[in-house]
Amino acid sequence: MLLTLKRAFRYRGAAAIVAILVAISPLFVYAALNFGSSSLYGMVSATPAYAEEAAQAEAPAQEEGQDGAVEAEDPNMWKPLPAPKLETKDYPIVAGINSRLAVWFAAQLHLFFAAFVLGVPIFVWVIEFIGVVTKDPRYDNMAHEFMKVSMTGFSLAASFGGLLSILLVVLYPGFMQYMVGVFGKVMVIYALMFFAESFFVYTYYYGWDKMAEGGLKKLHLFLGLGLNSSGMVLMVLSNSWASFMMAPSGIDDAGVFLGDSWAAIAGHLWNPLNLHRFIANIAYGGSLTAAYAAFKFLTTDSKEDRAHYDWMGYTSFVIAMVGLLPLPFAGYWLTKEVYDYSQQMGITLMGGVFAWLFILQAVLIGAIFLSANYYLWCSLGRAEASKRFYYMIQPLGVVIVIAFLMWFTPHTLIMTSKELTQIGDAHHPLLGYFGVMAAKNTAVNTLILSTFLSFQLFRRANIRPTGDGFWAQYGTTIQVALYIAAETNIISLGIWSYFIPANVRIGLSVPQVSSTAVVLILSTIIDTLIFKKSADIGEFKWGHMPIRSQYTLFMLAVSFTWLMGLMGYCRSAIRQHWHVYTVLRDNSVNAFTPTLPFAAWMVTAIVLVFMALVFFMFWMPILAAKKKEAKKSKVAGGDLHGVIGATAGE
Amino acid sequence: MGQLLKIVVFSLCVVCGFAGYTTFGLPLIIPEAPPVEEKLTGEITMDQYIALGKKIFEGKGTCTLCHNSLGRAPLLEQVAQVAPERLKDPRYKGKATTTEEYIHESMVEPSAYVVAGFGKKGTNDTVSPMPNISKGAIGLSDVEIGAVIAFLQDVGGTEVTVALPSGDAGAGSTEEEPAEIKVAENAKEAFSKFGCDTCHMHPLIEEGGDMGPDLGKVGATAGTRKEGYSAERFIRESIVNPNAVIAEGFDADTMPDDFATQMTVSELDMIINAILGNESS
Amino acid sequence: MKILKPILIIAVGYLLLKVGIPFVGSKLHPGTWPVVPTSVLKMYMFFVVAGTLLFSTFSEDGYAGIVGPVADIYTNPKKGLLRFVSIMIVGSLGAYVAYQYVKPTFDAPVELRSIHPAPPSTVKMWGKSYSLQTLKNPLRADKANFAKNVEEGGIVFFQNCFFCHGDRMLGKGPFYQGFNPMPANFVDVGTIAQLTESFVFWRIGTGGPGLPSEATPWLSAMPIWHHLLSEEQIWKVILFLYDYTGHSPRVTAAQAH
Repeated sequence: MLLTLKRAFRYRGAAAIVAILVAISPLFVYAALNFGSSSLYGMVSATPAYAEEAAQAEAPAQEEGQDGAVEAEDPNMWKPLPAPKLETKDYPIVAGINSRLAVWFAAQLHLFFAAFVLGVPIFVWVIEFIGVVTKDPRYDNMAHEFMKVSMTGFSLAASFGGLLSILLVVLYPGFMQYMVGVFGKVMVIYALMFFAESFFVYTYYYGWDKMAEGGLKKLHLFLGLGLNSSGMVLMVLSNSWASFMMAPSGIDDAGVFLGDSWAAIAGHLWNPLNLHRFIANIAYGGSLTAAYAAFKFLTTDSKEDRAHYDWMGYTSFVIAMVGLLPLPFAGYWLTKEVYDYSQQMGITLMGGVFAWLFILQAVLIGAIFLSANYYLWCSLGRAEASKRFYYMIQPLGVVIVIAFLMWFTPHTLIMTSKELTQIGDAHHPLLGYFGVMAAKNTAVNTLILSTFLSFQLFRRANIRPTGDGFWAQYGTTIQVALYIAAETNIISLGIWSYFIPANVRIGLSVPQVSSTAVVLILSTIIDTLIFKKSADIGEFKWGHMPIRSQYTLFMLAVSFTWLMGLMGYCRSAIRQHWHVYTVLRDNSVNAFTPTLPFAAWMVTAIVLVFMALVFFMFWMPILAAKKKEAKKSKVAGGDLHGVIGATAGE
Repeated sequence: MGQLLKIVVFSLCVVCGFAGYTTFGLPLIIPEAPPVEEKLTGEITMDQYIALGKKIFEGKGTCTLCHNSLGRAPLLEQVAQVAPERLKDPRYKGKATTTEEYIHESMVEPSAYVVAGFGKKGTNDTVSPMPNISKGAIGLSDVEIGAVIAFLQDVGGTEVTVALPSGDAGAGSTEEEPAEIKVAENAKEAFSKFGCDTCHMHPLIEEGGDMGPDLGKVGATAGTRKEGYSAERFIRESIVNPNAVIAEGFDADTMPDDFATQMTVSELDMIINAILGNESS
Repeated sequence: MKILKPILIIAVGYLLLKVGIPFVGSKLHPGTWPVVPTSVLKMYMFFVVAGTLLFSTFSEDGYAGIVGPVADIYTNPKKGLLRFVSIMIVGSLGAYVAYQYVKPTFDAPVELRSIHPAPPSTVKMWGKSYSLQTLKNPLRADKANFAKNVEEGGIVFFQNCFFCHGDRMLGKGPFYQGFNPMPANFVDVGTIAQLTESFVFWRIGTGGPGLPSEATPWLSAMPIWHHLLSEEQIWKVILFLYDYTGHSPRVTAAQAH
């Protein structure tokens, strides 16, 4: 008895310590950044009044110094240097490899794996938490399995990160020397954060079964929180280098570091990039685990396993969609900030060389949306009763295709001289309307609403409202009204915006997005209310999915990966011939901007290597599981009928 | 394994489809090469060479001192265009056959062709007041003269025919120029070093110009020109601050006003003494 | 025959794109037949076909209805003739597409223009250098003379720009049909409305020849206006353009400071 109490106390205490550590970890970062600066000294050592007076008398000297006051006196000490003027001969060529492509390769692969292992723990933690709240062991099992799948990813991400940094140091020493001059302190913190990340990831994963109950489970959740926090810190720190390279801050005109690491980190594009990457990581992690589930679904013979992996694939798919839906808006914010930071960079991005990249992006995102809807339509097949919704799919498909066609219509139409004569204008009288932002906003909101409608149809597939409660009776009608009102609002705002000045028009995208958001949120709430008083109709069979639907999940994962690679090229290439935009010029032989097809094939090559490694990553847990299987009786799968009700509560 | 193979083939088709669409479905835009940075490795582009010529034209070459809108010397914006006509003009005495040679000749041998109305007074437009800019104070190198020609051809909207300088000579010679200047040892050298002979006449100057007052004569009146100023003080002021007093019949803003930072004290003294007539040849 | 429905839908989609859009367009712009350019039509049709196939095959019945007949043709030993014909049709279609793709033509090659290329960071006019990042219209701050400046800008416009850009700024001046690319339509939301004044200043000042190569400077007929107009005149005409069209210029963070 005493022992149990003692143990519980010990673990509770440990949980509390971890919680406190996690909570104050930003303070550590802050303190480390300001280590050596006078402000912190002032904070730590209580300064007597007379000393303050003396300090005020010496104020000018202190103004100059801050970090470098001591160093400046001694010419032998290191101090921040202006951005070097690199010459072609400053770029070593090692073993005849193309430096640019080598770094591209390593960086992209690192980012693929890093995004995956940063994204997965976020929703693993959320699912684990849901499991604790609902006391449904399936959630816990699934979260554990997600974690298992991504374990190899951590070491692969780290390996490619190591390769990338070695390549940068070896191939771009001048650039790295400058970056270290600005971010030296931050880089050391970054490296130290890896210890925290490793600690959390191993204790979180390997402690999963040991910490399954009571206070230990809470500790486990705290470990997961620690894993996510340290991962988040790692991401935002490395983001700061990327955003610094695009929009440098914390330096003077000559590129001399001014001594404030925080100013260098918190550049103009830092937060937009953080948000965009954070959301995209979740979507990306979801799409890859969905592919894993699809792979297992296709390769298993057991009916139970098939049901389990169908459910897992569906959940991953929903996670990917939750990440995907807000992603365009985060992207708009990033683009807007790029424009605000530098018109030249903004126009390079949207109007110049990369204009067609965004048509390509639109096609890819359209393909992703189409696949997503197809998966949801196929999902209806799990419930016999869903046949009553089949008539809606065709009109829904037509709407999605039309919205999508509007979305990717380019602003600049490529036409032959004959077509130009027929049209009689560089602007098409009809298609010209689709090329501008007003039409695109309308289209993308319609796309999102339609996709969400597909999702709701699936959730309703097996359920019929019963009883005489208000929501059961009128809920569906209210939802339909919501959809109609929102879509009317979106379309009429879209049309109206052609008739008003530009500065008002830009503001109109906000009510359009709000309409979509309101439907998404209210409709989900109403769903929950309806589901409270509803009954199953007919049978719901997990695993009752056609094979082609699983290929849709592969399509999603592959498109996501490829799109990510493409946008990585775009984000990096808009710096053009600069390592650090306007400060440190790239004077290597590889300082050109690659063409879109060149980048596309490069990305394809990287994606293929990545896919090979992903198969390896997915194969690892299977390899490990083969031995255990003999001993272990089947726990997975189980009674999965009616899980839809549980998922509906999410 | 059959499923795995299918999945691999399917994924391969998807990514290659994307890349294929990028290659064949979208128009190809070839981004421009990065702009060439100045003085990268001693190599120089024509644009930079022309820019260098402009810099010399407005700066070191002191060309705009006279070739400006005040009409002291012909404007040169169109010189490359009119050169072919000049070569055909019966008054032309030089040996040039092309525009490039003509411009070069007018810089090192200005009297080969004197634009009507711009000759030295009393020579009936046969002698140019312009100094040989490859010698004396201006002393442009061949590379620099080439740059100015390139600039003039470019400004005139004609084809630039000047050959680019070979790597080392290009940027190098313009930068090393200060090393060649040494302190003048006597007044005659000082006159020549600071280009006084371009505009002024003086017994120590073999062939002076008439853009400025005759320095052989100002010594006699200098003491009376400004109240409270001795002759020496007046001349000193006229050199370091040329616009303080402008002699009748001459324009302000013609003489460079940076001699205060150019001359050494001994050079200034030698020049003042020479003007005062204290030093004879 | 379930397979007929998707085929019908695709056919209707094709007709809408091929005839419907030009028909509506011809009502909007009488005298023209605004076809959907082939490059866009191809992409449209790809997604119409893909989308139709997707929403026709989501259910098992739908899938069987479409795949069944196709599989039947290619596997049923009794349908040898039909199989032969359908293979011939598919093969000839491929041959036709390939022939269209490679056959020599006398059409001018499609030249791609970036309409709003990235501006240089600095631009040189009237012997002065302007930083486009921070350049502002000096006359915009002069509220007292705003009306006068706009009016004078209008005079500049009608003496110089009107001939191509037209009296209503629609890019349809008396000479517009002679040009490809056609003169810019300033009323359109895609032109000056989304650009900063410094960008417009650069475009007017250096004209067609000042464009970077991705914007095909060899095609544009726009004169180099800084050879013909003064700096002040250009700023005035910019004021006039925004005032007349009712657009307001885009302002970047660097210019706002």
